[in-house]
Amino acid sequence: MLDAGLISQIQRLRFVVHRTRAGQAQGERRSTKRGTSVEFADYRDYTRGDDLRRVDWNIYARLERPFVKLFEEEEDLAVHILLDGSGSMDWGGEGETGRRGDAETGRRGDAETGRRGDARTRGQGSGKWEYARRLAAALGTIALSSGDRLSITLLQSSSSNVRGAKSEAQAPTADFQLPTSNLQLRGKGQTLRLFEWLSGLEAGGVTDLNAGLRRHALTGGRAGLAMLISDLFSPPGYAEGLTALAARGYEVTLIHLLAPDEVEPPLEGDLRLVDIETGEQQEVTVDGEMRSLYRRRLAAWREEIRTACRSRHIHYITAVNDAPIEQFVLTDLRREGLVR
Amino acid sequence: MGFLTPLALLFAALSIPILLLYMLKLRRQEVLVSSTLLWQRLLRDRQANVPWQRLRRNLLMLLQLLILALLTLALARPFLPTATVASGSVVILLDVSASMQANDVPPSRFEAARQAARELLDGLGPGDAATLIAVGPQPTVLAAVTTDRTALRRALDEVAPSDGPADWEDACALAAASAAGRDAQTVILSDGAVPETLPSLPGTVHFVRVGERSDNLGIVTLAMREGSAGPQALLRVANSGDTSAQASVELRADGVLFDVRPLAIPPHASAALTLDDLPYDLSLLEARLVVDDPLPLDNVAWATPGRAAVRRVLLLTPGNLFLERALATLPGVELTRLAPDQPLPGEAYDLIVQDGPITQTLPAGNRWVIGPYGATSTVFTETAIVRTASDDPLLRYVDWRDVHVASAWTMDTPPGARVLVQAQGGPLLAVAERPEGRLAVLAFDLHQSDLPLQIAFPILVANLAGWLLPPGGAAGGEIVRAGNPLPIQPVADAARVIVSTPDGRRHELSIGQALPIFATTDHLGVYRAEQFDAAGTLLRSDPFAVNLFDPAESDIAPRPAVRVGQAEVRAAQPGAEGRREFWPWLAGAALGVGGVEWWVFHRGTRRRGNRVTRGRGDAVTG
Repeated sequence: MLDAGLISQIQRLRFVVHRTRAGQAQGERRSTKRGTSVEFADYRDYTRGDDLRRVDWNIYARLERPFVKLFEEEEDLAVHILLDGSGSMDWGGEGETGRRGDAETGRRGDAETGRRGDARTRGQGSGKWEYARRLAAALGTIALSSGDRLSITLLQSSSSNVRGAKSEAQAPTADFQLPTSNLQLRGKGQTLRLFEWLSGLEAGGVTDLNAGLRRHALTGGRAGLAMLISDLFSPPGYAEGLTALAARGYEVTLIHLLAPDEVEPPLEGDLRLVDIETGEQQEVTVDGEMRSLYRRRLAAWREEIRTACRSRHIHYITAVNDAPIEQFVLTDLRREGLVR
Repeated sequence: MGFLTPLALLFAALSIPILLLYMLKLRRQEVLVSSTLLWQRLLRDRQANVPWQRLRRNLLMLLQLLILALLTLALARPFLPTATVASGSVVILLDVSASMQANDVPPSRFEAARQAARELLDGLGPGDAATLIAVGPQPTVLAAVTTDRTALRRALDEVAPSDGPADWEDACALAAASAAGRDAQTVILSDGAVPETLPSLPGTVHFVRVGERSDNLGIVTLAMREGSAGPQALLRVANSGDTSAQASVELRADGVLFDVRPLAIPPHASAALTLDDLPYDLSLLEARLVVDDPLPLDNVAWATPGRAAVRRVLLLTPGNLFLERALATLPGVELTRLAPDQPLPGEAYDLIVQDGPITQTLPAGNRWVIGPYGATSTVFTETAIVRTASDDPLLRYVDWRDVHVASAWTMDTPPGARVLVQAQGGPLLAVAERPEGRLAVLAFDLHQSDLPLQIAFPILVANLAGWLLPPGGAAGGEIVRAGNPLPIQPVADAARVIVSTPDGRRHELSIGQALPIFATTDHLGVYRAEQFDAAGTLLRSDPFAVNLFDPAESDIAPRPAVRVGQAEVRAAQPGAEGRREFWPWLAGAALGVGGVEWWVFHRGTRRRGNRVTRGRGDAVTG
């Protein structure tokens, strides 16, 4: 999934959190709770039942009143990775790679693609889906290596859900017929399990992002960092789901992943476009002017998303899967202030 | 508008295959994309913004349909009915005589006729040939049978009206020659100042009349002679209008105004003015009508006094008072009378008049024989006149109807002779040009007829003497009509003659064996002939005037019809027929649209290609 050099590099990274929150287990993050760490936090009056070991005797000697010394608690952080598993995410691999093979020859990422070929489980090329899974793997590795609690969720409709996850990875929320599969992990040792689980996933079907996100907000458990990897090609939209996540207290980062074909469509002539996800057909005559209109439209769309995210205090990062994933994780995420 | 081959419109059915091909072509290729979300939004935007985009998409198809429509129309050979006089191959006789310069039809009758000729050429069909003949003093073929419109139009643009009368007989001969062997129509573009009868012309003859007004005053005669009390001049002004006219005549002697005379001219008549008080040393007399009429060309005339060139005439007669008197009154004639048996003096005579039979041999020269001519002359009495050449200038104003002849001699008609008067028994009057001089033969004794008693006799004598006597001296005193060649009598030792024209050009004529003839008398005005000897010394300088002096040209009244052969041709009404085809324009337009289509097609593909290449370049650098 990821090569060793990259893993060792990203294991040094930490997610940046702007709010302190209460955790569940002992961790490396500052918590809102007062606890047992070495960082001094506050004093308070001694009340009956307090551990006498925490009374500050120096204060008592001076003031003859017992005060209890409070320390910061360091706990873990809940990191949620939400992976859009809709049909449109399975784009830009296989045939696409073959078709654009000439154009990609000599690209610097090509050698690595070849090297990583062994890691591929299903023979998929460096398509959007592959990229998204590798991105999820990288983010998950960061979370696991920093001792955070990782919850990775595949957003997919139940009808066409080809569940690649193993049975033990079944989401506990399956009773609610949530069209997701979920994996909860913690600890550095779980990295391999994460990779296995991810490589077993397949994209397909129509996904209602709004519904998926809303359900995750309700049932996803402890709020924390949420990172959504999606192309946002969801007919019902995405805004309500993001709002629900943000309202639940998540610190949301939206990684908007597009294929190069979607940024610059190599289409020409009188075409009937068929949506790989919904099967919808759209007749269009593509010429130079149409293409420039498309580019403008795409830029406007991205700007629209960026504005919507800003109003909800959501990080918005665009990604195109022809850039090497190392560059994205080590440079782009760092520049955006998501990792440190 | 109509169509010559309307069945060709069926080719419009070809548009169905074109449309079918387009519908087939527009069965779109199916392409899988990750999402149509953006495309749907894009199309919504675009359809809202530019609704005509849908049309532009089919621009190529529309252009192809347009080409088909144009070609179909061209095949159907549409035509516009045009106002023209004749269609098919035509021979155009364009009158360029002086009367066509009348400006009653602005800018002038000639320009109107030229415009009519242009329209005629425009109305010709694609395969129709045209011949253009300018009818002037010397009719010329401007463009012989040709279908080349450009050449015809250029010839038409270059032709200019002349200052002389039109020679319609020659023009008709030219027209008949160029129309020979082909089906051609003849169109006469004129004001109708044509002879009473034109020779018959091949094909249908159309007459396009130009001109409106008829009120014109013109000088038809201005002549000078040496009278007993100094030079005299005769001025005759003709009025072709329907009302009597008043004009004042300005008279200039050598350019200096010396008299203004009023003159009243009745309608359709002429009035004469005799001027006795001319200056003695007059060398050039100019008469100018101060009047505003359509044809200014004939309002001015010039005359030069004849040189007092004395012509010596020898009369050999036993005694003939009538003849003697008639000859003696001729101006500039010095008459010597001898009896037939008297020996001839050793002097040279310009003309020898031989009255009655003669025995002695006479020197060569101009001769007028009155009496028997030839060795085997006999007498006949069947002298009733059967035919006179009434149109011969020698018989002008000579009326033979009341002339009776008792007896006459037969004559051996000399070779090349013209018989002017023919009686039952033989010719009575004949003239001939011989190498040794001119000859006139009157085949009866004047005493045997009542001719000398007739008013016609002195006129006949004057006419004959004027023809028999050589032109006096040089050109001086000659009256020349525009377009007519003028022989210039060289003086002794003259080596060359330079003639300067009114517009300042100089023509040099060499003097060789032949008489120098000046032919470029195209314009009215005063010319000057200067004769130089070999050393370049000016020997003699004579002015001579080229005048119109043509009552027929001065009578500018447009005629309603002309007679051609036996038929009377009335002025045609333009607009009778004519189909102007314009399919070449349609075919050319189809070609142009084809070019536009090609350009649109290639522009589209080129731009598409550029975009794709650039897009890939972006992907590589990104």
